[in-house]
Amino acid sequence: MDKTIALMSILTILIVLPTIQLVFAATDAHEYINRKVEIWNLFFKMMTIAFTVGAVVSGTLIWLVWRFRESHPNAKPTKYEGTEW
Amino acid sequence: MVLELQKPRPIWQIMFSTHHTDVGLLYVITSIAFFFMGGALALGIRAELFLPGAQIITDSMTFNRMFTVHGTTLIFLFLLPFASAVGNYFVPIMIRYKDMAYPKLNAIAFWMIPPGGALIWLGFADFSWYATPPYSAIRAPGPAADMWIFGLKILGVSSVLGAINFIVTILKCKHPDLPLSKVPLLAWSFLTSSMIVLVAIPSFAAALVMLLTDRLGVTGFFDPAKGGDPIAYQHLFWFTFHPEVYVLVIPAIGMMYEIIPRFSRKPIFSHSSGVFAFVVLSIVSFSSWAHHMYATGMSFTEKTVFMIGTLAAVPASGMHVFNFVATMWGARIKFATPMMWSVGGIALFFSAGAGGVANAAMPFDFITHDSYWVVGHFHLFVMGTIAFGSIGFLYYMFPYITGRMYNETAGKIHFIMSFVGTVMVFFTQHVLGLYGMPRRVFDYQPYPEYIIMNQIASVGAMIIGASMLLWLINMIYSAGKGKEANMDDPWGLGGKYYFPYQAKNPHH
Repeated sequence: MDKTIALMSILTILIVLPTIQLVFAATDAHEYINRKVEIWNLFFKMMTIAFTVGAVVSGTLIWLVWRFRESHPNAKPTKYEGTEW
Repeated sequence: MVLELQKPRPIWQIMFSTHHTDVGLLYVITSIAFFFMGGALALGIRAELFLPGAQIITDSMTFNRMFTVHGTTLIFLFLLPFASAVGNYFVPIMIRYKDMAYPKLNAIAFWMIPPGGALIWLGFADFSWYATPPYSAIRAPGPAADMWIFGLKILGVSSVLGAINFIVTILKCKHPDLPLSKVPLLAWSFLTSSMIVLVAIPSFAAALVMLLTDRLGVTGFFDPAKGGDPIAYQHLFWFTFHPEVYVLVIPAIGMMYEIIPRFSRKPIFSHSSGVFAFVVLSIVSFSSWAHHMYATGMSFTEKTVFMIGTLAAVPASGMHVFNFVATMWGARIKFATPMMWSVGGIALFFSAGAGGVANAAMPFDFITHDSYWVVGHFHLFVMGTIAFGSIGFLYYMFPYITGRMYNETAGKIHFIMSFVGTVMVFFTQHVLGLYGMPRRVFDYQPYPEYIIMNQIASVGAMIIGASMLLWLINMIYSAGKGKEANMDDPWGLGGKYYFPYQAKNPHH
């Protein structure tokens, strides 16, 4: 648990810091416009990733519901059935 | 924790009890009653919008009053109290304590809800659930507006008292042998959402007092004519109510964490990632309030900060979804009614989240701002995710409350109709918004696209309404005459499952 939190914190900082660098408005107007473009590039890349992941997860969810229903011919008892957990 | 519905008691014994399951039962009944009242208003609104022009509502003021009370009721009098109901039933048992930490305070927190609800319904204010100034500060007719303000004030105090009780119960009263890392995720969801309540509510509490004094003419905080700033109200309001979305959604996810492993017949894939995601969500919930206000003239830098703050919720939300998917992987899932509602809720949660990610983009937000897109997006969360999780959980609690089983076929029909209806109403509203239809309108231009999409949404709403009627009949009939439940294994899942409800705290 502690290791997971530490790892996630480091990863978050590594991802967020460069992003925040882009966010601060520059004093120079010329530079400001370039940074705006960079932010939107970043955003649309994130959108593409988000929707790709979304499509994969939604598809997986539909497949899971079909494949792992108890009435599926290949359904097997889980190793936890009959035990206390 | 079977309630004494099998062994009838005089109603006042339940009403004046401070026992956590009795207070929980009062919360359930009150919240469901308000759900049907608020839902009836929604059907009235959708019937009115079936065609352009006045249909069943005579004037726009009445329409405004209806959607104000509809929103206020379903958020403050259905979703929040229902979450409290679940917390009251399950938190003490899950942390192995005899009751909530402060039983009398618990009962007081509940008994603040009926007067709060009465003020809102008897006043029937007209300024939407945001009560946005300057209209609400200057012109909204009293006493309706003042009654709404007092009603919300009471409900806010009730929320804070409930939150204090949950936090103290979980942190201070849990069994010494039970470390926090082993506390079930449902209880964790109440801990994190209660923390949010404590931090978020005071901002709106202050705004309500300022709004009231503005209305009394004593101050001019939000009145531009007196040098006030209506945008300040929006900041105070959204500082409370963006986190409040998480106050609603986190317990609903906690409920899914209870249902999905049970019906998958295996433990949750990762308890620690669920805890981590709850904690992260509760923190980042405070980093996104101003994304509701991109159109108020904020600087580019401010907007960008809040855009990133909004997107910061995505990884934590994704962790929950992956946790559910990984739990179901390799399982032998029984699709009983509670499980169907939970899986449907996850699917709609994902759709609502995708819409939120899109809407976080500033240029896109300018297009969709104050359009029906926002109505669709918000309702996919509150109905598609939170209400789906809550309704599924009520089915799950039903045998433990009544000792009887509900009708499974009727429950499944209820789910299918509600799912189809929800998609018809709220997906269509997203498209309506992209076509430019503004929100909160009594009438609309008779464009063919507007008419057909409003009709699809209205038919969807009627399907949801019919399904809820079926639910009500099922609940009432089954509570009295349903088949007696096998309390060790109501759904025939087999095996020795850990059912915390088998513990029963004695009445006091």
